[in-house]
Amino acid sequence: MKKEIANFRINGRSYEVIITPNLTLSELLRDQLNLTGTKHACQVGQCGSCTVLVEGRPTLACSTLAIAVRDKEILTIEGLSRGGWLHPLQQAFIDHGAIQCGFCTPGMILMAKAFLDENLHPTRELVKEALGGNLCRCTGYVKIIDAVMGAAEAMRKGGN
Amino acid sequence: MKDFEYIEPSTLKEATQLLFDRAGKAQVLAGGVHLVPKMRKGEIKLECLVNIQKIPGLDYVKPDGKRGLKFGAMAKLRSMEISKTVQSDYPVLYEAIHQITSVQAKYMGTAVGNLCVATPASDVATALMALGAQLKIAGARRERTEPIEKFYPGYHRTSLKRGEMVAGVFLPKSRPGTGTSFLNLVRTHSDIAKISVAVAVTLEDSICREARIAIGGAAPTVLRAGKAEALLKGQKMTPLVIREAAEIGAAETRPITDLRSTAEYRKEMARVLVRRALEKAMEKAEA
Repeated sequence: MKKEIANFRINGRSYEVIITPNLTLSELLRDQLNLTGTKHACQVGQCGSCTVLVEGRPTLACSTLAIAVRDKEILTIEGLSRGGWLHPLQQAFIDHGAIQCGFCTPGMILMAKAFLDENLHPTRELVKEALGGNLCRCTGYVKIIDAVMGAAEAMRKGGN
Repeated sequence: MKDFEYIEPSTLKEATQLLFDRAGKAQVLAGGVHLVPKMRKGEIKLECLVNIQKIPGLDYVKPDGKRGLKFGAMAKLRSMEISKTVQSDYPVLYEAIHQITSVQAKYMGTAVGNLCVATPASDVATALMALGAQLKIAGARRERTEPIEKFYPGYHRTSLKRGEMVAGVFLPKSRPGTGTSFLNLVRTHSDIAKISVAVAVTLEDSICREARIAIGGAAPTVLRAGKAEALLKGQKMTPLVIREAAEIGAAETRPITDLRSTAEYRKEMARVLVRRALEKAMEKAEA
């Protein structure tokens, strides 16, 4: 098995890691870098709980080879808060009670971030479409949609 | 996941040469949404992975002069979905892409990758077949162009030969008087469709000059209902003629029973969807 040293840029930090080509991005994050906010769930790209942002684009870490995203800017849930301040989406998820077990939350929030970065004036219908690939087995989605709408409002007012 | 050799070619020539030299052992990685989970599960085994993501000039969706639209092997489904040209000039393709899978998978996955998986249930392939897509195939030896209906010799098989890969797709602009439509049946849009139908109808003085009827999920490959198309050609599209074409189109399908539907249901729905799709396309052609 060919090992190599690869450079990764994650949450604004640089990491040098010894990897093999068959390592997925979610395995790299969780097992090698201990960034366990990114979840392993279905592992076949169906549930969205491993969603991270690669160059700002929502990406399923379970279906991405780590070696293919060397030197790209990767954002995980651990890198979302700034100087001890939660991102408006994180705050809104707390305020709206949009978390129960929390397993889907990192993926939900990062998908919602990518979505709001493109459109700060969403409708509930558009939020549903954007989060269609993120499964939650607890909340029934209403509070999650409330939270994203609330975060959009906060961000319009200049929250982040 | 099993180990493999990983290569990032920087040109198409290098990629096709690799595919030629490692025939049967190498596979192309584009978006990875299909391939990577299958590799993890051991359902796809390969010795060499040829990642084409770093090859410049494959990630585009753009007008091809006045002739139509073209997109490259690395054009993401998401780029195509939000393309104004696709939305305005190829609504069937937009509709097919818009309702499939998740936003994440569309940011990662490519339309060409979707075609190369060669599933008979591809909504994208069904739409592209109705629109008369031509595939630009790069090879270690030569380049060739192939209409999409020739691309699928059988279930999960493509016509790609040793050292070949799809470099891009060309979609001709539809002639004046053409109406199109896309319809499918799904339990949930995160799953593949039970059956899909895309049609393009060109009318001249209310007479059908050309009809293209593509049906997905109802045979080992996406198919064109050639007999139904032939029946429509030169005819006035009355309700009776449309019904007859739908009957014939359904008879051309060879569906199977699986967890999503029975063969009988698929055949019956092929008839219903072809009829509705023809009606809708005709209305648009007349508008």
